[in-house]
Amino acid sequence: MKDNFLPSAPLTINWAVTNRCNFKCSHCYSRSDPSEELSFEDLSECIRQAAEAGVLSINFGGGEPLLRRDLLAIARFASGLGMRVSMNSNGYLLDRDMVFRLREHGFTKVGISIDSHLPEVHDNFRGIRGSHERAVKALAFLKEAGIETSLSTVICRINHTDITALVRFALESRVRQLNFHNFKCSGLGYSNKDTLDLSSEEWREFYREALALKEQTSDLEISLDDPIIALLGKHNNTSMVKGSICGKLSLNIKTNGEITPCGFIPVVIGNITKDNLKVLWKSSPVLEKMRHKTPTGKCASCGSYEDCLGGCSARALALTGDMNNPDPHCWRNES
Amino acid sequence: MKLFRNPDVMWREEEEYKDQAMAGLEKGEDIEDVGTSVLFSGGTMMSLNILGTEIWKLCDGRTLDEIVRALVEIFDVQPEVLREDAAGFISELKEKGYIYEG
Ligand code: SF4
Repeated sequence: MKDNFLPSAPLTINWAVTNRCNFKCSHCYSRSDPSEELSFEDLSECIRQAAEAGVLSINFGGGEPLLRRDLLAIARFASGLGMRVSMNSNGYLLDRDMVFRLREHGFTKVGISIDSHLPEVHDNFRGIRGSHERAVKALAFLKEAGIETSLSTVICRINHTDITALVRFALESRVRQLNFHNFKCSGLGYSNKDTLDLSSEEWREFYREALALKEQTSDLEISLDDPIIALLGKHNNTSMVKGSICGKLSLNIKTNGEITPCGFIPVVIGNITKDNLKVLWKSSPVLEKMRHKTPTGKCASCGSYEDCLGGCSARALALTGDMNNPDPHCWRNES
Repeated sequence: MKLFRNPDVMWREEEEYKDQAMAGLEKGEDIEDVGTSVLFSGGTMMSLNILGTEIWKLCDGRTLDEIVRALVEIFDVQPEVLREDAAGFISELKEKGYIYEG
């Protein structure tokens, strides 16, 4: 099958339903976003359009999606149209009763954000005392309800040397997947990058260790969604997509319906309340640029470019102003 | 042995590409590389050409023999060739966990 296959519409959408949050995380990309929220009726219409375009799954996010009172009704509507429904949550509001209601309303998977195996580190980072304990309980309830769980950790200065303990913690929590998200420098993450982001050498060390752990660990899927691991000779050869999947398989929709290539790229390419999703998917010049990146600087002479495609476009854009520039996390020296 | 699609794998047919493949097929063009469906699982995508798509759709509890019999109705290809292609493709999908035997 040819390598540059572009599906006729996105396969999945990360959909922010609210920017409100009960937490105060310093790496947040949405709490500072003042966009309005769509009404239930408008949102349902947009979800219907996505289903008609062929979108297979929606991952609700925010903000904290559970702060939206009609979240369950929204999920039921989306799953009723045949889409797979999941969400990312901080877990604070997930008690046993809520978890069973999530299942009844069509949620098949919930990702819980936990940044450290140490409660005090997580609580400090998230700005809410007791949040670690609530997140751990949420994982247990989800398990009980038969909802697939994943644990999401944003790798940054507070946890990058502790990942062996995090993996052990994920195994003890019996989650199916552990997602290591690299620090993106968007929203508040940009303002706090000097205290939170790692140096490129530290990123290299982190990925070396994470890849070794991934190889040694069974019973847990460790996901590293970062194209620059190609530099360590690793690439996801089961996927047809090179570089990152944003704008190639997935899109992001903001609370007001604005569409961006991913949650970390603040470039609005249209609005689902007004634009046709399939047309936009095929004709957006921004998406076109993301799908056909051109190597610049050190990427031009890099043997990993074919798999890496210059790394994470969001980071390159946030820190250099051009998504074609080499990912600032990349540790390769120019030769 | 009956063959089933793994329900965790999301998929859809790509209608416009399918039309393109059908038109090409009629003109005798090589359409092996035209993806007419996509499978999506764990954040990774796989696209299937028209033969792959039909095989995937037929994995609804049929055996390999039954699948080949159905394929013969759709494609103007020798049954032995279809059987070999289908068996190879199914074992690839089984390895990925996209199809299971029951
Ligand atoms: S030099 Fe560019 S292509 Fe090579 S690993 Fe770094 S970011 Fe990726």
